Parts: sequence; structure tokens; C-alpha cells
Amino acid sequence: MNGAHDLGGMHGFGPIEAEPDEPVFHAEWERRAFALTLAMGAHGAWNIDMSRYARERMAPGAYLATSYYEHWLHGLELLLVEKGFLTRQEIDRRMAEIAAQEAQEA
Amino acid sequence: MSAGQHDHDAPLPETVLRVKALESLLVEKGLVDPAALDVLIDTYETKVGPRNGARVVARAWADPAYRRRLLEDASAAIADMGFCGRQGEDMVVVENTDRVHNMVVCTLCSCYPWPVLGLPPVWYKSAPYRARAVADPRGVLAEFGVTLGDDVEIRVWDSTAEVRYLVLPQRPADTDGWSEERLAELVTRDSMIGVGLPARPPQAA
Amino acid sequence: MPVLTADRVEEMLRRGTSARLPENGPPRFRRGERVVARNINPVTHTRVPRYLRGRVGTIERCHGVFIFPDAHAHDGTKEPQQLYSVRFEAAELWGPDAPVATDAVYVDLFEPYLAPAP
Repeated sequence: MNGAHDLGGMHGFGPIEAEPDEPVFHAEWERRAFALTLAMGAHGAWNIDMSRYARERMAPGAYLATSYYEHWLHGLELLLVEKGFLTRQEIDRRMAEIAAQEAQEA
Repeated sequence: MSAGQHDHDAPLPETVLRVKALESLLVEKGLVDPAALDVLIDTYETKVGPRNGARVVARAWADPAYRRRLLEDASAAIADMGFCGRQGEDMVVVENTDRVHNMVVCTLCSCYPWPVLGLPPVWYKSAPYRARAVADPRGVLAEFGVTLGDDVEIRVWDSTAEVRYLVLPQRPADTDGWSEERLAELVTRDSMIGVGLPARPPQAA
Repeated sequence: MPVLTADRVEEMLRRGTSARLPENGPPRFRRGERVVARNINPVTHTRVPRYLRGRVGTIERCHGVFIFPDAHAHDGTKEPQQLYSVRFEAAELWGPDAPVATDAVYVDLFEPYLAPAP
């Protein structure tokens, strides 16, 4: 698809900004997003090409404004719902539950 | 922060919550084993990385027969050193010479040879590199501090399929007789992507 | 498939999932042949970047037969297609604005993405 991911030759992104000695993961949520994606992929419900297509289907503005593992998270969630592992309602409900729990603990 | 970049320290507000919710649900439903998640993370955080590729390069520098095998059948030659598997099943090694400099990119996503280089750095996966590497490779190299002469041809390899590329940099001068272990120390990750050159031996006092 | 357990992770990663398939006949294009990347614009998954469409390149090598991603992403079909490394000159890709006309981009393209150059 002609998505925002198809970046070859685009202008306007500015300098490359390589971080010296950067860590493999920058936050715990990145580790989890990475591992969950690989672990769920192992079920064989989708293949790597389906994974890429799921990430590509992120709205172009959102794709360009978010980081790499946020693309992975979007793709994972889309596949989990499309393949029937989870529903959006379940995810929303669990997010609300965790948020409430964390607010209480704070 | 430049246009198109996103501060990875500040994801969308609900991102952390979303990841927690997914993990919580998937573990609860018995769809993921938390211990497997830890092994996956640990593998790429501590066990698989560019030191693997550095050993491949060092061996190619030290052993002309291995270098020939590496250029003819990279997958087999790299597997012989124990590096194989996910995102490196089908390898091609491209050699830098006095006349040709190679650089690897994945404009469409982030394809990268995991078994020899580990997971890619943020800049490799981000828009500035992916957009510019194919259009202005010398501008990209200049940002990494590398300038090449007009007589050098730059070849940018866009990893659009499942073949994964590793650059074989040129062996630095003044390294005659060095052991593979010592040679490997000169091989930088960036030189195996093609945005850098290997380190040079320290000048004798 | 069963849940991935910790003890099976290493083997899964080491085995990988090569997309290579058995050879199924001669490739359509040969090394040195001039080809054009077709101007296809599917809304579904494809791996021919926009910056190449309609551009003329030269077959550098034939990688062999691999799973065609366009079909694989669509419905899981493992359709075998020849995969080529195709060389494009900077001047062809970027016109007079190419910073160095003689630098080149090599791209891995499947046979359905290519046609003989006019």
C-alpha cells in the first residue's frame, strides 16, 4: 500500500541523530512490545508479511509522529483483534482497570 | 527535535498502559508464557549483537578462503561460525573496495541482519535515514563523519525482501599479522551497515 | 500451535523462518537485462517502493525463489516467485537533482514487480 512507511526519497525529516552507545531498548514497555510480538507470532496465526501490513495500515500522520515500537504495538493490537485473540472492548476495559489500580496505588 | 522525529522517551500517553493491558490479557488467557518473554528480551539485549558480525569480518580479513566463501554463500559461511536464524536466514555479504562503498537500509521498515548485528539502532529504523539513504548517501555518510572520493561508487542496498545484507569493510592498514580477536576489535557496527569505516590501529608512539 | 515456552525460544530463533522456496523453473530475467519496475499501486501489501515505480534498472543477480509477500500478507498463500537484485542509477531515480548521478541503489524485487524495459 502507498503508506507513510514508504519513505525512500522523502524530504524534510532533518538530521539522522544517531545516539552514541544507545541501549537495545529505551524503556520497559519497548521490551514488552518486542517480546509480545514475537511470542504471539509463534502461534502461526499470522506471518511476517501480515505483520508488516498491519503496521503499514497505521494512519500516516500517526505513523510519522510515533516511534518504532509504537508501530509494532499498533500492528500487534490490530492483528490480535483481526485474528480473534482479543476484542477492543477487552483491551479498553483492561486499560481502564490498570489505570484505576495505578491511580489508587499512587 | 526535528520534524518527523519522535522522542522515544515520551510515547503516546496511553502506550505504556496499552502494553500492560495486552500483556496482562495474553498471559491471563494462557496465550503467552511470561518466562518466554524474558528469554526473548534477554537474547537480544545481552546475547546477540554486532560482536558476532565483527568476528565474521575479522575472519574474512585474516583468511582469504573464508572471505571467498563469505562472498559466494554468506548464509553458509556465517552459519559455520554459529550465527544463524531469525532475520538472517538468507544472507548476502557485500564487499567494500577502493572503488566501491556499500551501505544498507530498509526504506520500507527496518529489515536488518539480526544474527550478526543484533537489533537495529533507532536511527536505522527512523524516517531521516530511511528517506535519505537511497537519495543522498553521501550526505548521510557526511553526517556520520565519512567522506569518500568522487572515484568511489556508492551502492545503497534497500532490503525490500527477506535477503539480509552485511557490509564487509576494507581491512585497515598496519594490521599485518594481527589475530582475528584483535582485528575484530576494529570492526564497528556502523562499518558493517556501511555508514562508517572500521577503526584504525592506534599510531605507534 | 502451542504457546511458546521459554525452553523453546532459543531453538525457534536459531531455526528462523526462511522465506526461500525450491526452484521452480528458469527465472524470466537474466543478469545484465534491463527491466522496469511496474507502476502498481495496490492498497494491499507490496514490497516495491514508490520511488522505483516506472524506473528502469539492470538485473544484478537472481536470488532464487522466495515466498511472494503480496500474496502471503493477503491470505497466507506461499506463492513462489523469483527474486532479483536490481541496480538503479541515481540519475534514473532522482533525475537532475541526484546529488551524484553515478551512485546506485540495489533493490530486491520480485518478478511480478518487473517488466522488460521498453
